Amino acid sequence: MARYALVIDSRRCIGCHSCTVACRVHNELPIDMIYNPVTTVGPKGVFPHVRMMHIPLLCMHCDNPPCVDACPTGASQQRPDGIVWVDQNKCVGCKACVMACPYGARVSNKETGTVQKCDFCMERVEDGLLPFCVKTCHQKARIFGDLDDKDSDVFKLVNKEPSIRLLAELGTEPQVYYIYSWEV
Amino acid sequence: MKHHEEGWGWMLAVDFFFAGMGGAMLLIAGVLDLLPGEAGTSLLGNICGPLFISLGACFLILELGRPFQAWRVFMNPKAILTIGAWTMTLAIGFGFIYASFGLDVFPWSKMVGLRKLCAVICIITGLIVATYPGILLGRHKSRPFWNGPGMMVLFLLSSLVTGGAAHLLSAYLFTSSLAGNIAGLNLTVALLLAFQFLVWLVYLWVKISGTTTREAVAARRWLNGEFAAPFKYGFLLAGTLVPFILLFFEQRGLTMVAACLVLIGGFIMRNLVVSSGNIDRTWLPGELDYRSRLPLGDEEFLRAWNNK
Repeated sequence: MARYALVIDSRRCIGCHSCTVACRVHNELPIDMIYNPVTTVGPKGVFPHVRMMHIPLLCMHCDNPPCVDACPTGASQQRPDGIVWVDQNKCVGCKACVMACPYGARVSNKETGTVQKCDFCMERVEDGLLPFCVKTCHQKARIFGDLDDKDSDVFKLVNKEPSIRLLAELGTEPQVYYIYSWEV
Repeated sequence: MKHHEEGWGWMLAVDFFFAGMGGAMLLIAGVLDLLPGEAGTSLLGNICGPLFISLGACFLILELGRPFQAWRVFMNPKAILTIGAWTMTLAIGFGFIYASFGLDVFPWSKMVGLRKLCAVICIITGLIVATYPGILLGRHKSRPFWNGPGMMVLFLLSSLVTGGAAHLLSAYLFTSSLAGNIAGLNLTVALLLAFQFLVWLVYLWVKISGTTTREAVAARRWLNGEFAAPFKYGFLLAGTLVPFILLFFEQRGLTMVAACLVLIGGFIMRNLVVSSGNIDRTWLPGELDYRSRLPLGDEEFLRAWNNK
């Protein structure tokens, strides 16, 4: 069984927000909903030692997802391959998952009354395709793949490059890894 | 800094207030019934317990994005919200059954053993309903003001004082002096108010001094920030200290005023706590700055877009 993960090479990200746009177009999101924002830290320092970093955020598809445990209806689920998704038929919009998620990765859709989130474009992944945000990234800053496959790029990057996981201290076991060049 | 953030609305705070108060009313009625002597709680008070929990449940349903699908919240036994929903349902049912023992029209009204059994169930379910919002909030690892077991104690205490005040108010509506075990409730509520005052001060002090920077930032809102005025003057002064003093006089009028102040204080506290968790999250690098640039939802271009 695969264990899907995403590696984000922040050294390559230029903050163009193409991933944000691709996601919104593909998922046909309302104007006030964003699954994967890109934040910016910096610029810091004094010329010529100025640094700036772009940090794409999204659902971390945690191994220990607090949103799944918090959901009273069973709408928030985790597949065996690690993808965390929301069954829109079961969701009642109680926002328990919104409050439980430490990453702010869940958003309410006012039109449907439900909560939605990134699902790694799971229909595309099932067809052997890449998530839209990964496909769109022209800087190749987003690398998607199976962490259980030792020949995959994500396995090699996670095990060879210095990477961090956001808020790992909370014990959620996030499966989005960030390769960085300087501490935020 | 104003920012766009998803969170629970005011109706959840109202649910926490009514459900907590109603749960504590069941708990108090059950305990007073099991003590030697007459309980002395009023029929109105015994009915109001499950009624308030029902009212809280109604607000909880209205808070949902899809209220007509509310039955689905009973489906995941691992979720604390599901446990809360089931316990509230049991508390409402057994609460009304317990209250029915006060009406002679029912054939079981003289069955003391059955009433005592019902009182025990009311104590258990009432205690869980009064406590579970605090447990629910305390388990949120990324909400710095909520996180930790302290929230459970604060909610249980607030539920007990508001439940006690509601019982006193119900009893004094029909009599000028209290009789039975409820006569000691004035003093009990006063002591609980004093304890609540101390626990809140310690809670804020621990949050500010002993833990993470995020928790300190969240806690400072209560002392110097936007929550300071309603917290200090609405909750601590008017909702805790003033009724604490008034309750010692044990006079009908003063006790009723004190009870009303306690209820207002409890309502303010629930709203502030829910708002605090909505505002303060464990932010990711650059996230707060990013969100502060997002529209809040009431901008003209958004209204125009949504109405097109």
